[in-house]
Amino acid sequence: MSSQPRPTQRAGPSVSTTVTEEPPLLAVDNLHTTFTTERGDVPAVDGVSFAINEGEVFGIVGESGSGKSVTALSLLGLADGATVTADRLCFRDEDLLAKDEAALREIRGNDISMIFQDPMSSLNPVMTVGEQIAEVVRHHGDVGESQSLFAELRRKYVTGTSESSASWQRAVELLDTVGIPDPADRANEYPHQLSGGMKQRVMIAQALAGDPDLIIADEPTTALDVTIEAQILNELLDLRDEFGVSIMLITHDLAVVRETCDRVAVMYAGEMMETADTRTLFEDPRHPYTRGLIDSIPRTDDDREWLDAIEGNVPDPTAKPQGCPFRTRCDAAFSLCEEPLVAYSAEEPGHRTWCHLYNDAVANDGDEVQRVDDAEAKQLIQEHEASDDLVTPQRPNFGGEYR
Amino acid sequence: MGMRRYIAKRVAHALVVIYIVATIVFFAVRAIPGDPARVLLGGDASAEAIAALREEMGLTEPLYVQYIRWMGRILQGDLGTSVFSDQSVLQMLIGVAEPTLSIAGLGMLIALLIAIPAGITSAVKQYQWEDYVATTVSFIGISMPGFWIGIVLLIIFADRLGWVPAFGYVSFRQGIIPWLKHIILPALAVGLPYGGILMRMTRSSMMEVLNEDYMRTARAKGLDGRLIVFKHGLQNALIPIVTVAGILLGVLLGGVVAVEIVFGIQGLGRLLIASIQRRDFPAIQGAVILISFVFVFMNLLVDVLYTSINPQIKYGGSE
Repeated sequence: MSSQPRPTQRAGPSVSTTVTEEPPLLAVDNLHTTFTTERGDVPAVDGVSFAINEGEVFGIVGESGSGKSVTALSLLGLADGATVTADRLCFRDEDLLAKDEAALREIRGNDISMIFQDPMSSLNPVMTVGEQIAEVVRHHGDVGESQSLFAELRRKYVTGTSESSASWQRAVELLDTVGIPDPADRANEYPHQLSGGMKQRVMIAQALAGDPDLIIADEPTTALDVTIEAQILNELLDLRDEFGVSIMLITHDLAVVRETCDRVAVMYAGEMMETADTRTLFEDPRHPYTRGLIDSIPRTDDDREWLDAIEGNVPDPTAKPQGCPFRTRCDAAFSLCEEPLVAYSAEEPGHRTWCHLYNDAVANDGDEVQRVDDAEAKQLIQEHEASDDLVTPQRPNFGGEYR
Repeated sequence: MGMRRYIAKRVAHALVVIYIVATIVFFAVRAIPGDPARVLLGGDASAEAIAALREEMGLTEPLYVQYIRWMGRILQGDLGTSVFSDQSVLQMLIGVAEPTLSIAGLGMLIALLIAIPAGITSAVKQYQWEDYVATTVSFIGISMPGFWIGIVLLIIFADRLGWVPAFGYVSFRQGIIPWLKHIILPALAVGLPYGGILMRMTRSSMMEVLNEDYMRTARAKGLDGRLIVFKHGLQNALIPIVTVAGILLGVLLGGVVAVEIVFGIQGLGRLLIASIQRRDFPAIQGAVILISFVFVFMNLLVDVLYTSINPQIKYGGSE
């Protein structure tokens, strides 16, 4: 298997990088996930909106604590102790928030499955990997094997899972699909007998076992070393091509995004900063935070002595600043930044930026700006433009071409 | 290393432990103030009579000679003869072991049958009424010593309600029901404190397991709640519990001694205490060896069980 980086735009079945007529596979609009703690309410996810189309690899990128994982868990009702609300949370036009636990169980594993960050701790240490996959096959329900509590416990403690059962055979097939050698033998092994990369392949096989439409991969390669990372990412992309499954890839690594994702959303402190197709995001980043992230990636043609880091830290989620959460670290911050964030669309379809720099009023020098401190805003914008030559060949001009 | 070799090695270890225990007991009983010959003959015996009895009991010889002789006899399976009753110690032990092991065994069974389901319920229904009931009951169990629980049970079930006899022991050979009637209260008395501790252990262990990543994986697979708890959680939660259950067995055996006295049962514990009072060296030594034998081999059983519920443990490590 090749570990070379893939081109960003790839020809896969039904890959669409533009907004299409047909409804998206997953539509999330204004998602809020709030944890109630002793120190007060923590808005881990604070108004996130995105859509994932069929066969698409959609990246969510952000720093630790930016709410990427909680977003994923919220979709499946797995965010324990949190209150989840949204204007829209639809999978194939079915409202996920309206579903009770039993209905969600039918979705989990079957329609939407998950791969977690740490394969060392995400597989059950006392069950063979074959059985852990086979039980998903049984849950998917087309092999006609009982999965009542009694049947499952008897299988686990008395008879063992029969190697001639359809679910076990399917598990072995899946292990083969994800590139595990000697799958029939490996199926009988326990997780601790496998390497980290193997374990993550088992997780992928498990995620595939229910024949899902969407796989949520939450930092699937963070716990692995770089060579294995490339293999696992390629494996995921191959599976997308083979099965047409959509993938929601959560990562903190923009390099991973560039190599794998069709479209990407940038999150910060539980809020959306920018979303665009991957090429646009890298070639024409509009949000100061996105630019900061891209600047902090080392490049092969680097003549910089120091990488450009973003000063400061993610704000404490219990004490987030009003308005844009990034404004305390943002070089381009101006008075309007204290207003609640709204999305500003760019020319490129699907490119949206949650940054008041793209407010028509600011950009057009219109009347509205009088309401905020106009002089300060202009000065900040000028400084912002002046400091920006390094990364943005096509600097945004504020000439009113943004919708 | 295979299962068989592992067990052989562990049995050898166990025998060494028992040997060390026997040696310590041999010297310890001889360090207790009080002369067995004087205790046996009473306060007004003549010095000559005592000296003659000491000679007869072999107590005049140097300690190391006594030790080597005793060890030699033990290796031949001879635990000696009771100074007090002239009975073979082995015979005495066989007579008293049955009631003690019956009480301890049933007590442990009761403890496990109550503690593990209660602990799981408590962890799954954390901070709900089931949890409060279970933790309160277990706290009561932990707080009261076994003999006190025994007295309370005696007053309620034997004296007031008259459901079971208050005293004595009937062998299971005379019928399972009478046997159970005689040992149920003592078994509860030793089992409840033991079960209380085990329940707390199960609760905390299960709560820890419920927060593990693989439990979240199981939920993300769409499995239902009971399947997640019993198929994915229970075996992992049992790993630390099995270890503790083996170690706590010593607590349980200790509890039996006091409970036998409360219920007037001629068991190992009563024999041991009576023998210490009489300075009956062979009987003390025999009783302690038997207790350490039971304890060591129960722990061996626990370890074998442990390797089978935790696939990450290989027999005897990476040799």
